[in-house]
Amino acid sequence: MAGTLDLDACAREPIHIPGSIQPHGHLLAVEADSLRLVCASAEAGAVLNRPPAEAIGLPVDRLIDCASTASLVRGLRNAPTEPVQLEILSLRSGADYQAIAHRTGALVILELEELPATGAGTLEALYPQMREGIRRMQAAQDFDALLASTAEEVRALTGFDRVLVYRFDEQWNGTVIAENGNDRLPSYRGLRFPASDIPQQARRLYALNRLRLIADARYQPVPILSATRDAKPLDLSFSVLRSVSPVHLEYMRNMGTPASMSISVMDGDRLWGLISCHHAEPRQVSFAVRTACDLLGQVLSSQMIALERALDADHRIRSKSTQARLLAHMAAAESFIDGLSDDREDLLGLVNADGAAILFDGDCRLIGRTPPQEVVEAIAAELAGQGIKDLFVSHQLPAEMPVAAGMERTSSGLLAISISQLHPSYLLWFRPEIVQSIDWAGDPKKPLDASGGLSPRSSFEAWKETVRGQSLPWRHGEIEAAGDFRNAIVSIVLRKAEEMAALNEELRRSNGELAAFSYSVSHDLRAPFRHVTSYAELLRSRAGDKLNERERHYLDSIIEAASSAGRLVDGLLHFSQLGRATLARVEVDVGQLVDEVRHLLEPDLQGRNLRWTVHPLPGVTGDPTMLRLVVQNLLSNAIKYTRDRTDPEIEVGCRSNADAHEFFVRDNGRGFDMAYAGKLFGVFQRLHREEEFEGIGIGLANVRRIVERHGGRVWAEGRLDHGATFHFSLPRSVAAESR
Amino acid sequence: MATLKPILLVEDNPKDLELTLEAFAEAQLANDIVVARDGAEALSYLFHEDGQAVSKPTDPKYPAVIILDIKLPKVDGIEVLQRIKANESTRAIPVVMLTSSKEEQDLVRSYRLGVNAFVVKPVGFKEFFDAIRDIGSFWAILNEPPPGCHPRRPRGA
Repeated sequence: MAGTLDLDACAREPIHIPGSIQPHGHLLAVEADSLRLVCASAEAGAVLNRPPAEAIGLPVDRLIDCASTASLVRGLRNAPTEPVQLEILSLRSGADYQAIAHRTGALVILELEELPATGAGTLEALYPQMREGIRRMQAAQDFDALLASTAEEVRALTGFDRVLVYRFDEQWNGTVIAENGNDRLPSYRGLRFPASDIPQQARRLYALNRLRLIADARYQPVPILSATRDAKPLDLSFSVLRSVSPVHLEYMRNMGTPASMSISVMDGDRLWGLISCHHAEPRQVSFAVRTACDLLGQVLSSQMIALERALDADHRIRSKSTQARLLAHMAAAESFIDGLSDDREDLLGLVNADGAAILFDGDCRLIGRTPPQEVVEAIAAELAGQGIKDLFVSHQLPAEMPVAAGMERTSSGLLAISISQLHPSYLLWFRPEIVQSIDWAGDPKKPLDASGGLSPRSSFEAWKETVRGQSLPWRHGEIEAAGDFRNAIVSIVLRKAEEMAALNEELRRSNGELAAFSYSVSHDLRAPFRHVTSYAELLRSRAGDKLNERERHYLDSIIEAASSAGRLVDGLLHFSQLGRATLARVEVDVGQLVDEVRHLLEPDLQGRNLRWTVHPLPGVTGDPTMLRLVVQNLLSNAIKYTRDRTDPEIEVGCRSNADAHEFFVRDNGRGFDMAYAGKLFGVFQRLHREEEFEGIGIGLANVRRIVERHGGRVWAEGRLDHGATFHFSLPRSVAAESR
Repeated sequence: MATLKPILLVEDNPKDLELTLEAFAEAQLANDIVVARDGAEALSYLFHEDGQAVSKPTDPKYPAVIILDIKLPKVDGIEVLQRIKANESTRAIPVVMLTSSKEEQDLVRSYRLGVNAFVVKPVGFKEFFDAIRDIGSFWAILNEPPPGCHPRRPRGA
């Protein structure tokens, strides 16, 4: 902070007992019962008709020489703790004063203020104007209109050049949120002030005594004299002439506003803000006008509370409907994350954030203005590390979380909700640094005031320092909306999980049924086929010689048909068993497997001149029996479909990438039309007539089932009469079993 | 011959029973074939009501081999197997599961209970007859019975 004054000292300054007053009047303190003078301001001799030192100890009614002593005495005896105006005190010497009295402890303080140029006035005279003002304030539909009309009415009553409405945030930083002026003074609309500008003891005093006037900031304070040097200092909390801090006076002078008045606006017991009036010249305002302004301030308080409640209700309704839209989106989407990230405007609008991130199940989606993904993930990891299971709020994240350091522009503010009870999954909302988002009517690039001292300019700079790395704080309603939304999401996630569990249960049940079905197929369907073949065979062996050739052909056809049906049932059963059998996972040398299967299939080759090319093959992890079946199916297919070639060739190889080994078996045989490629791996799908190539059409279905259960996939290319290549991939790392 | 022990065939399906008996006849096995049509009948051949085994290795009723279907009325084949293998006196009798289905679970459970062989009835007639002949000749003739049994007639006699 520029300047020579120590603001910390300022925060400790006992401003309610300054021991001096402003010079536009006199202060007398008297004992409440005897009315004897205890203290007097140094210049009070003018009203006491003798030097104050000589007056102390004497009853005040014998000191002041006026016509209405009796009513003065009555006023003093009945003085309440808050200042009230007594009658105008007209001294016999000719001077007139506004007499204002209040009681503090055992003393009554009588303040005699010089009359302003416009005269003392009365509340009754001001009433018509006030009534209109209050009516306009009550008609205001929204906050801005209410504040604007308040500023306008206060200026109309007081005649100040500029009236500001200044609001405190939760950290007691202030913002000028409304202004009314005549352009004699610069606009301060939007200007921010650090909390240190109005220190805590000043705020406490402002909450007690709602009105202050500095008639001329250039004044020389007038000391208060008392009988003894070490007398207890006089409490001037409610004094209207109380001398203010020299720091404040310098501030006023630097602003070029020698006269100022401020009215406290309360929200219950809390100081909500100030109506702050400034004038380019010294200005005195009558007590009646000040009282009228205080009334306007109180009207503002009550109007504001009513409006705030209405706005709060409105905000709640809007937030609920935003939430409802989001939830509807989520429920309609395949994955609720899609629903959430598609409805960007509502997602950000729900808590008035600039950016959001959804981290769920290893997925990370960024929406709007956010830090880079790795930072977002680090923030989520940090939340998980801290065990955040519901809600996390910060408006100064970079200071609170080292992983967010340097991310002020995007994530000074973080509102996070945990959206899964099981996984560390979060929905994060971000807000930028407040400095990035404010709007000030003044020019922030204008250099500091020539004086370099205390001024709104330096206040603004100081404010920017105090809020560096901070976002606008998350409002109570926004945090509440996030919490509600969290509950809704968690129940959606839970419901989805329950649906999944139900589906799994259903799947398990239908798998069980399928197993029971294949068992009964195996037992009940196999037996009749077996009986048909057996009895037909028996008939052929016992009575074959009694049958003619045609009759024997019928019998042979019965046996062949029943055998073939039995093989189909066996094939189907085997296929279903492949799907259900437990996978053994061991290291399998595929090269060795190919060699063994080639040896096994040797008899099928029947001396054919087949050329094998087997490239080096890697080892994999898998079920050796099942993988053998894969190799066996692919090789025997290759052998089968090349048997009408004159120079049959079969090539076996593998291409590996980071994730998987991709094996292939290529032949130059009959091939297939790619139009039917999709049918190749289906159960009982055949692309050739049975007389051409034998088989029941289940081998490739088995291959696919086995490979898929190992987490791989199968595919094939071919051209009719130009050979075929069958591929299967197996993941390099042991993946979770899939079915 | 009196020393030739019977084969206990447990089969409920009349066609399978007929075909199996045909196959045994074709294989020209000299053993008596005792037929039980369900699990309960098989158990009552082997055990008294109090659970004591009827058959001792010296008893002429003591089977050379039990051929057991799995799917049976009353008491199923798995349970019959369990009772046989749980009893000290009958444990040594070879049991061959002869079944229509190759359910992995049945296979696993049977071996766990100590089955001596597990044969799925082949669909083809020739294969089926071969299987029956092989079972009969292996378990009733080639296989050496547990000690304490009456000596088998000399080979080739």
